[in-house]
Amino acid sequence: MTAFGKLIRTTAFRLTLVYLLLFALFAASLLGYFAWNTRRLITEQITTTVNAEAGEISEIYARRGLRGLVFTIENRALRPGANLYLVTTPTGQAVAGNVGSLAPGVMATSGWSETAYRRLDEQDIPRDHRALVRVSELSSGFRLLIGRDLEERRRLFGIVVKAAQWSLLVVVVLGLGGGIFVARRVLRRIDAMTGTTQRIMAGDLTGRLPVGRSGDELDRLAENLNAMLERIEALMMGLKQVSDNIAHDLKTPLTRLRNRAEEALAKSGSEAEYRSALERTIEESDGLIRTFNALLMIARAESGQARGNMDDFDAADVARGIQELYEPVAEDGGMTLRVKTSPAPLHGNRELISQALANLVENAIKYGRPLPSIQPLSAGTAADGYEIVIEARRDGACVLLSVTDHGPGIPEADRSHAVERFVRLEASRTQPGSGLGLSLASAVARLHGGELKLGDNNPGLTATLAIPARTDIGDRLAAQTPDVPQKAA
Amino acid sequence: MHEDAGRAMVTESSTASTANDRHMRLLIIEDDRESADYLVKAFREVGHIADLAGDGEEGLSLAETGDYDVLVVDRMLPKRDGLSLIGSLREKGNRTPVLILSALGQVDDRIKGLRAGGDDYLPKPYAFAELLARVEVLSRRHGGPAEETSYRVGDLELDRLSHRVARGKDELTLQPREFRLLEYLMKHAGQVVTRTMLLENVWDYHFDPQTNVIDVHISRLRSKIDKGFERPLLHTIRGAGYMIRDGIR
Repeated sequence: MTAFGKLIRTTAFRLTLVYLLLFALFAASLLGYFAWNTRRLITEQITTTVNAEAGEISEIYARRGLRGLVFTIENRALRPGANLYLVTTPTGQAVAGNVGSLAPGVMATSGWSETAYRRLDEQDIPRDHRALVRVSELSSGFRLLIGRDLEERRRLFGIVVKAAQWSLLVVVVLGLGGGIFVARRVLRRIDAMTGTTQRIMAGDLTGRLPVGRSGDELDRLAENLNAMLERIEALMMGLKQVSDNIAHDLKTPLTRLRNRAEEALAKSGSEAEYRSALERTIEESDGLIRTFNALLMIARAESGQARGNMDDFDAADVARGIQELYEPVAEDGGMTLRVKTSPAPLHGNRELISQALANLVENAIKYGRPLPSIQPLSAGTAADGYEIVIEARRDGACVLLSVTDHGPGIPEADRSHAVERFVRLEASRTQPGSGLGLSLASAVARLHGGELKLGDNNPGLTATLAIPARTDIGDRLAAQTPDVPQKAA
Repeated sequence: MHEDAGRAMVTESSTASTANDRHMRLLIIEDDRESADYLVKAFREVGHIADLAGDGEEGLSLAETGDYDVLVVDRMLPKRDGLSLIGSLREKGNRTPVLILSALGQVDDRIKGLRAGGDDYLPKPYAFAELLARVEVLSRRHGGPAEETSYRVGDLELDRLSHRVARGKDELTLQPREFRLLEYLMKHAGQVVTRTMLLENVWDYHFDPQTNVIDVHISRLRSKIDKGFERPLLHTIRGAGYMIRDGIR
């Protein structure tokens, strides 16, 4: 596309054209109204003066007869800038006046008419003037014509037409010029943006759109696009991090698996040895499958695909169910798992929320044992120290599902890090697990519009899924207790 | 490697199923030749008869004409996909139990599969022992005492109406969940029940716990029903799951 083609295709230029047309129409109608009104005013003025003069002359004729009439007419016709006068006999013979010729038939009809005429003193000029004349019959059959030249009106009209032409020209020139100016300015900025986006598409994710200082709509757009690019870059970085981690966390067990198989193959062992090697291989691959499943689940929760399977339920039931499932495991580990519930209505994917809570409980069972060194310092009794509490309750517009332990907790600086995929804080590297538990819980919370919060239990960790409560119940509760702030969830 | 590993599992669990001395006729509808052959061979090794269909149309016509105990259907098949195959079978009144195999293992895919008329759903990759246990539970011939009011294995008795459990003359006190666990095991007495099957059917969870929750529940149950008795009834089937049965090993 040529530069000019690009220019006239811009929205700014097209808008200019539309405005140009609108302004031209406006100017034309304004001038038209003005011209028409002026014409009417002039015509009115003429009729008034001619009527007045006609009255005067009729009076003179009545008082002084034909002689007086002719005298007065001749007298008045000689004045500079005089009106038009003509007196004819009943047979049409001109008796007095300054009109040389008239369009035929004008004198025959009484009343107002517009006609072409020539003055007596300009018979040789080829062009006719136009005049507005009034013809009346005098008592004796004589006819009297009084009129006024319309040159003035015509000239005025001409001026208006000329003004219209000029203003149209000015409007078009200024409009087109302004349009091109604006369009080029916009085009330059758009071209700059296009250039940047092309660089970004080519792979340079660090590129950002130029933002001017005027704060206009293009700047706002550029700012928003930049924010979007920021987010995309962060996501890409995250993705890269995740694939690095996948490579690490899946390749390590895969290598182990392969080594074991190779070793078993190389060594000529007994059947029992082969068998145990194969059993460990299956165990290892089951672990890999679990990791894959967890990854898929997170991806699904994060992309919002799991949103289809949502229904209404009470988070307290979920908490009780999970407590019931894990209580024996906790007890085997020398801990107690308690549950505290109050009604906590949710709308969500029950399966996913159960799994998220199960992950938090599994974490607490795995890592929630007090460190031997700090045990004597802990405020509670030893039994308290080994206690894990699941709690489900409603707090304002949120449902809180929390798991509290008395283990070493997670240092504040590490908390946001701990939610990331595949992160196992150093202390826990030796424990089995994919390192995806907290990430899945966090992804599930975000799918439901909430978040996973990690807090301090002094000592220990409180992991809380904070999820917006079901709204219909929320509204009803808020209506009953006005001091509860009503929030749209 | 995969095949060898699978066969190791097969020999483990074959002790359990061949003890039944009952054969099933299975139809496997799966387009991946290698895994289909593996399944056919593995099922034959444990004494079942397995036919094979390589695409949806062939599978449908075989399923309609043959008298099968269980159909094992892959979800994604050439010519006609698994769900539509099940749908048209069900429309024609064919009620043969169907187990769906799918690489799509997520919760809503499972629900979709069961809504389409499937009876069970197993995500790939699976352990053959898991598939075998599920197929045997699905099978009509192995259906066992489906909806009876009381179950009996050896001298262990469970009354579903009064929620009483007794071993010989001793009355046993079980927690509600322990009762449901025992109820499920006894309903499928003589059949291998996997950990996932227990988690799905007794707890109604479809996720995969990282810890051995089920084993701990089973060992609690075992301490209540088998401790102090000469003949154990609740057996661990290595590499597969659990089985309640009178007089094995």
